[in-house]
Amino acid sequence: MIRAVGKAVSAVGRLVAANVRSRGFRKFRKSKLALTAAAAIAAYVGVGIAIFFGLVTREEAFERVGPDSVPGFDALQPAERRFNNVDFQLTLVERALKQQDKARALAEIRLGRRRVAQVPVEELKARVEAVVELAEELEGSKDLDREPKLLPKVAEMEARCARLWEPLKGWDAWSQRLKLLLGTDRQGRSILLRAVYAIKIALQIGIVVGACSVILGSLLGAAAAFYGGWVDHLVQWLYSTLSSVPYLVLLSVLVFMFQGSAIEQTLVPIYAAFGLTFWIGPCRVIRGEVLKIKQLDYVQAATALGQRRWLILLKHVLPNASHLMLVQFSLLFIAAIKSEVLLTFLGLGVKHEPSWGIMISQSEQEVVNGFFWQIGAATVVMFGLVLAFNIFTDALQDALDPKHIA
Amino acid sequence: MWQYVLRKLLWNIPVYLGILLVVMLALRVNDPVWVRLGKNATQEDYDRERKDLGLDEPFLKQYGKLLWGFDLERQSWDKPGRSVGKELSQAVWPSLWIALPAFVLTTLVALGIALVAAFRRGHALDRWLMAGAVVGMSISYVVYIILGQYFGAYKLKEWTGAEIFAIQGYDTKRAFWWVHFCALPVLINVALAIGYDSRFYRAVVVEEATRDHVRTARAKGLGERRVWLRHVLRNALIPVITHVMITLPFLVAGEILVEVFFNIPGMGRTLITAILGKDFPMVQGFTAVFAAIFIITNILTDVLYALVDPRVRLS
Repeated sequence: MIRAVGKAVSAVGRLVAANVRSRGFRKFRKSKLALTAAAAIAAYVGVGIAIFFGLVTREEAFERVGPDSVPGFDALQPAERRFNNVDFQLTLVERALKQQDKARALAEIRLGRRRVAQVPVEELKARVEAVVELAEELEGSKDLDREPKLLPKVAEMEARCARLWEPLKGWDAWSQRLKLLLGTDRQGRSILLRAVYAIKIALQIGIVVGACSVILGSLLGAAAAFYGGWVDHLVQWLYSTLSSVPYLVLLSVLVFMFQGSAIEQTLVPIYAAFGLTFWIGPCRVIRGEVLKIKQLDYVQAATALGQRRWLILLKHVLPNASHLMLVQFSLLFIAAIKSEVLLTFLGLGVKHEPSWGIMISQSEQEVVNGFFWQIGAATVVMFGLVLAFNIFTDALQDALDPKHIA
Repeated sequence: MWQYVLRKLLWNIPVYLGILLVVMLALRVNDPVWVRLGKNATQEDYDRERKDLGLDEPFLKQYGKLLWGFDLERQSWDKPGRSVGKELSQAVWPSLWIALPAFVLTTLVALGIALVAAFRRGHALDRWLMAGAVVGMSISYVVYIILGQYFGAYKLKEWTGAEIFAIQGYDTKRAFWWVHFCALPVLINVALAIGYDSRFYRAVVVEEATRDHVRTARAKGLGERRVWLRHVLRNALIPVITHVMITLPFLVAGEILVEVFFNIPGMGRTLITAILGKDFPMVQGFTAVFAAIFIITNILTDVLYALVDPRVRLS
């Protein structure tokens, strides 16, 4: 089994290498834009692999790192919000102080790397009192935002509130700063961590969907063209049928298929729905190409030598259509990442992972309130990958499939 | 000509039969009655619902019902007393009011951009336009919609003081209701598709502009205007007309998203609500209708293609 997989991987590797060495590809290597795009994609994949090995864990992406809806880059907030943030931290500590086992409750409080100051409980209570004193004073004012005179007091309250926490040193301080760099979402989770962790989810969806659709589509398309007859009719009927339903409708119905089943919570419904929808593109393209290839001399020579049909298909025909598979893979990769966002927005896609779709959908309410950090972060990180892939695909198409229109 | 149309019609019959089969099978993989009722339902509940839906009938009979009029008489699960047909007849109009203007506008604008870019091919303008198209394609549709609503509805109201575009909703009784409720979704829909479409049309026009007959026309000494209007644009329209089809799935996708976001009671939103509410009869009926509309458009484009391009009829 392992040997078979190894063999398959090395065969794919050799095919890709052959394409990279091909004459058409020279054009690709000369284009600086295309190389930059390839480098950007490599960087994303690098980050994805690093996340896979634990750079950012799933728990970290779900963990509360601070008050909710904090803007990024320590941007100054209106006084009212600053008051609320202090209030949030205060409540957190006060609630713990009311527990039976105070020491344990306090030790359990965590905001990212932050922990409650390691001082005797009495001392901590005094510090809380100091904040409460100022807070009560400020609470009397109706609208803090309209009273600039009170701003120094708000700042003083924040300073006192900061003393509730253990000062962070070295890496911990950096880590906490980094987590708050792009602010937090409405559950106080780090936007930066979530946007970065979503790279892994996106790459996962893109690679699995791209690979499965290209393999399925190419095999069906090649078989249809190569064997002809009823196989061809069947495959053509199948893809005309599936492509007669608008793809978003088809995706939705396929996701419906998994509702209420055990794997609904995972990414499998997305893989399945995308895979069953997206194989049509490669199938059409490969079918067209194989129709041409099977007329060529070397195929006829192989036939004359008495090689078995399926071996000819696998060894002589498919490798010569591999450049198109590469182009199709990269097209479908983008399509999968973009469609994930659409499906998630409609409530049918990713549910329990941090993904760009989830982030963008959640930011709908925030945007109305003028908070753009979450939608901005998700859009920019996603934009980088999709733009790089768009440029890369264009260059790939120019290099390997120059006759293609758009 | 007629033979060609007939052939197209005949080819689409098995395709349509296939779609209904696929839809029915996909919706029955996971027993829809259990999905709807949850794990705690009793066997009697299950049997009753199953009978109500007609799921106890033989598969072929159900298939026949769906084939013969989409099974429109069936009652919706979520909205008791409303049949699928009634919901459909109400949902069609809002969708059309958005989809048709969006379609026409997108095609015209994209074609315009494509012509300008192709005419100035290789120049700075062309490069900027196409770079803009790639950048525009790389931003998620949902972002366009969210920001479109924020700036087009909320901010515009703040700036002008008048509520020109509604934040959401749909009500035909209002004065200027189309502008109020539909114009913004239409504009957003156009923005979604413009990058992809204009790139595609530009490629088509460029392909046509580099043909031999165009060179011949120039060699004959024809003016640039005549060359472009007569020899390039007219010929480029043939692939454009046929490939208008390609843009339809994107139109439907944009339509569904916009309807859901702006709370417009069109076909897209009804379908998504039905899927989220596990409303089996609605999902089945609506998907079948979506497919039927799609196929009809398909056939129409094929016929149109045959009308404008005599070469097609031979193949």
